[in-house]
Amino acid sequence: MAATPGSEARTGLKLISPTAIYVILLLAVPLATVLIYSVMTGGRGNVSFPVTGENYYSLLNTKGGGNLIDYFAKGMPGEDPDLTFLKWIWNGLSNAVYVFVLLKSLMIALAVTLITVLLAYPVAYFVSFHVKPDRKSLWLFLITIPFWTSYIIRVSLWFVILGYDGLLDKLLMSLGITNTQLNFSSYGVPAIIFILAHAYAPFAVLPIFVSLEKVDRSLLEAGQDLGESRWITFLRVTLPLSMPGVIAASLIVFIPTVGDYVTPRLVGDGKQPLIANFIETQLLKLQDFPQGSAFAVASMLMVGIVSVGFVLLNRRFIRGQK
Amino acid sequence: MTFSDDRPTMIEFKEVHKYYGDYHALRGINGTIKAGEFFSLLGPSGCGKTTLLRTIAGFEDISSGVIMIDGKDMASVAANTRPTNMVFQSYAIFPHMTVEENVGFGLRKDPRSKEEKAKAVAESLDMVGLKGFGKRAAHALSGGQRQRVALARALILKPKVLLLDEPLSALDKKMREHMQVELIKLQRQVGITFILVTHDQEEALVMSDRIAVMFDGEIAQLADPETLYRRPATKKVADFIGTMNFVPADILSESGNSVDVDAKGLGRVTLDIAQAPVKSGDSPVVGLRPETLTLLYDDQKAPERETAGVIDEVIYFGDMTYYDVYLGGTDVEVRLSMRNVPGRPVLDVGTKVRVAWSPSALVLFR
Repeated sequence: MAATPGSEARTGLKLISPTAIYVILLLAVPLATVLIYSVMTGGRGNVSFPVTGENYYSLLNTKGGGNLIDYFAKGMPGEDPDLTFLKWIWNGLSNAVYVFVLLKSLMIALAVTLITVLLAYPVAYFVSFHVKPDRKSLWLFLITIPFWTSYIIRVSLWFVILGYDGLLDKLLMSLGITNTQLNFSSYGVPAIIFILAHAYAPFAVLPIFVSLEKVDRSLLEAGQDLGESRWITFLRVTLPLSMPGVIAASLIVFIPTVGDYVTPRLVGDGKQPLIANFIETQLLKLQDFPQGSAFAVASMLMVGIVSVGFVLLNRRFIRGQK
Repeated sequence: MTFSDDRPTMIEFKEVHKYYGDYHALRGINGTIKAGEFFSLLGPSGCGKTTLLRTIAGFEDISSGVIMIDGKDMASVAANTRPTNMVFQSYAIFPHMTVEENVGFGLRKDPRSKEEKAKAVAESLDMVGLKGFGKRAAHALSGGQRQRVALARALILKPKVLLLDEPLSALDKKMREHMQVELIKLQRQVGITFILVTHDQEEALVMSDRIAVMFDGEIAQLADPETLYRRPATKKVADFIGTMNFVPADILSESGNSVDVDAKGLGRVTLDIAQAPVKSGDSPVVGLRPETLTLLYDDQKAPERETAGVIDEVIYFGDMTYYDVYLGGTDVEVRLSMRNVPGRPVLDVGTKVRVAWSPSALVLFR
């Protein structure tokens, strides 16, 4: 029986339908729910229509009842000579609670991404270039060992190392570098960045490793043959050819870390709430579904924009490669 | 075709050995390559020819011995500072760059201005027949074009030696034959020493001034193509290059520089012993190229010697016919080639024939 294009398409739809239903139920429906909530009115469990943009507008609210739009619309006050332009911007942003958390989470996620990729690249490079081919899978397997333990346990173990009277403090004190307990794990943001970077390193190693494996080794010999040292050959050949892996790794690290809930909860005594913690407070503690949903949508948009940036960057490097 | 030997030496090998663990890849390479020479390293896969090329480029260290390029010991000279450039078997074109970025890759440290460099790149592309291809993306090129880019990229640096690692093996037959001629022309034009690695004996014969035939990490013979073809040093070389008939022989007597042998099917013949130092008790073989044997038609007379035979197989090639002939009622079979000319029919299997041959065309092997 000859398959017409129509029947082929129907067969295709049938084949993907289980997955499609799964995706619609578990992704599209909740997403649509959040979108609808974000434009509804009311809070504290009694939500209702009419549709409103109020929730999004109030994301820009500043402490003391103002709004960021008004603040910037007014322009920079001229009377105070100590007020620089950057300080004026900073004052505005740091007073807008939601915006500030959004930006802080973004900065933390970008910092984690940067550190993770910088740390993961040498590991991936080493495994790809300096480990015997028959040992590579063993090395990759060893890199995944941290995942055998629950993330919460791994974070807790960092307290043993970084916390009050922990290994780090003991080491630094015995070396005479400091004589007080540093209790690094209470250092909010730096500790969060440090612990997240460690947690996501294996995720970053794998895509970079794969892209390095694809680099034709004769290209490196060609680089040296044409007069460049190993280091310059790396910069001119290996690094650009491995950029798709670097960008993939960045996305893989950035997207989950920007919405990470557990780490800010546990590290720094929970005094540095990020996006996910804020949403939790809005939705579960304050029962303000519309406000929490609007915040969730806004953060999703932000992640989306940054991710599209990464993808566009990736295109630039993938162009010209098979 | 002959190569004048008074040119200066460009590369010299002295007892070069290379071990990979227990594997002895190069077993005492000696020899010289002259400046401006088109030199080939010929041999079956695994004979060490590519390894030898890579030791010249500096990609492989040698375990012992000396490699001199232009009078300088290369022992402590890294690949990126050697006066050599390579055309890789895979061409190794940088996929993230355009054609002109590829060709200009090695010019980063060149003190010339941007405009002068761009001009040099354009000239180099012109030389390999890729004028106007500069802005193309490297990944969009065909195999032949990639090879030209690889050539331009290497030649723009004006190396003393250009190394070519089986550059034609990835091309189809037509393209390969075309590129052989182009490479010869290019080499004459630039005058740089070319060292070609190939497993294709025909390619080596066509292109080279001199050829080193390698087996098992050793140079079996280093000679110009004609000597290699007519006077192969060993049975193995003779067998590797072209077609060679081998006829077993018994030693009858030896005197000074010559030896009398009884070649099976051919009869008694006196040969120069200088080719192969045989002595009584050895059972040597005698080699004949197919084109040195001729079928005699009608009442043609052989200029030197003739032997009766029976045609066992006929292989028709259009311009040529190959005949496999049993010699003089023995089980010795030789292949001979005859040009097909009008008025001379192709003979059938089973035809009784007379075969003319010349003792001077025989090669003695131990």
